[in-house]
Amino acid sequence: MKNLLNFLARYNNLIIFLILEGIAVYLLATGNNYHNTRVVNGIRGLINGIEEKINNTRTYLNLREINENLAAENVALRNSIGRLVKRENSLFFSVSDSIYRQQYLHTSAEVINNSINRQKNFFTINKGELHGIKVDMAVTSENSVAGVIIGCFANYSVAMSFLNLDFKLSARIKSNGYFGSLSWDGRDYSHAILSEIPQHVSVNMGDTIETTGYSAIFPEGVMVGTVSDFEKIGSDFYKITISLITDFKKLHFVDIIGNMKKTEQLELEKLFQ
Amino acid sequence: MINSILRFGLIFILLILLQILLFNNIQFSGYVNPYVYVMFILLLPVEIPSWLLLLLSFTTGLIMDFFSGSPGMHSSATVLAGFVRPYVLRVISPRDGYEPGSDPSMLTYGFIWFLTYTLLIVLVHHTALFYLEVFRFADFFRTMLRVLLSSLFSITFILLFEYYRRGK
Repeated sequence: MKNLLNFLARYNNLIIFLILEGIAVYLLATGNNYHNTRVVNGIRGLINGIEEKINNTRTYLNLREINENLAAENVALRNSIGRLVKRENSLFFSVSDSIYRQQYLHTSAEVINNSINRQKNFFTINKGELHGIKVDMAVTSENSVAGVIIGCFANYSVAMSFLNLDFKLSARIKSNGYFGSLSWDGRDYSHAILSEIPQHVSVNMGDTIETTGYSAIFPEGVMVGTVSDFEKIGSDFYKITISLITDFKKLHFVDIIGNMKKTEQLELEKLFQ
Repeated sequence: MINSILRFGLIFILLILLQILLFNNIQFSGYVNPYVYVMFILLLPVEIPSWLLLLLSFTTGLIMDFFSGSPGMHSSATVLAGFVRPYVLRVISPRDGYEPGSDPSMLTYGFIWFLTYTLLIVLVHHTALFYLEVFRFADFFRTMLRVLLSSLFSITFILLFEYYRRGK
């Protein structure tokens, strides 16, 4: 017993260190991965109120620019409504038929906390479960990719930013339809890497890259960016550098897109795996 | 005693606020993310019991984790920094030892001593932090570059603050 006490007294420094480091590493291991974000959410829930106050100040300073963007978006939406109305008039179908049921639900939200300078970036938005936000919904900003919702509270949700090493997206070259895997390499907040495009495909500078919709998270045809550089890697694939359309430094108003037919697609795919 | 608790409490709140409101918002590039709050661990008295030092380091890290939504990342780095601090102090101790009841400040032990001290602890802290952040050894050298550049900035700011403190 005395020996034990002596031991504890001599190494108390090391023991406390190991205990505290153990707690920290436990938090790190359980809280940081994609599917187990409960700890992240718990922690973020405590401070969302403060963040919203900080954000209010920041918003006030950018009001002019925000207004301009909203006005531009309004014009674009009016134009597309015009086109839609015409088309619907020319068609003749029963709206109650489930085939014509709307597939994607849109809602808008405001980003209240964001970062771009880490390797695994997240942002918080000011809508949550009460507004119908669910995990795995897509987040876009001015119709280009911004992130994916990974955790929801009553009034807030946390999204994994596109600028996150764990974020993978299926994307294709708009002009020829070849698709590959898009991810961020952690270097520059305005560029990402598209890989797995075979070398026989012709790639040009400035080609548009858009989502494929294979993942059941993002709708088809959401813009990602344009080709800014490409090089051959080995003898099979290109490494294509994409210049992103979304300016993550200015991410403010975002659209949340929910896929209402997602479960159907995933269940069907599960049958054949 | 009460006086020094108040003083360190004030320094603590100031540094945390500076970090959250100012330095966490420097979105300069992925390579420069100064973490100036480590200064709190640097400034604690030389003779602080090691358990208290570890506990305070852990608390500091945990609060930073709260505000950056990165559970465990800052805490593990700060606990490591708190753990190595006594060893660093022993290695770089001045020729006639530390004066009883003194703070490790630039005023008492000189600029070169304080620079070495800051450099060692900030490097330990930043290395742990940035490698835990990426959590992989791919891009080893790029992470190292981030560690070095961010450390450079953190150290510069810490020295500036310390210089300002000395002036008062």
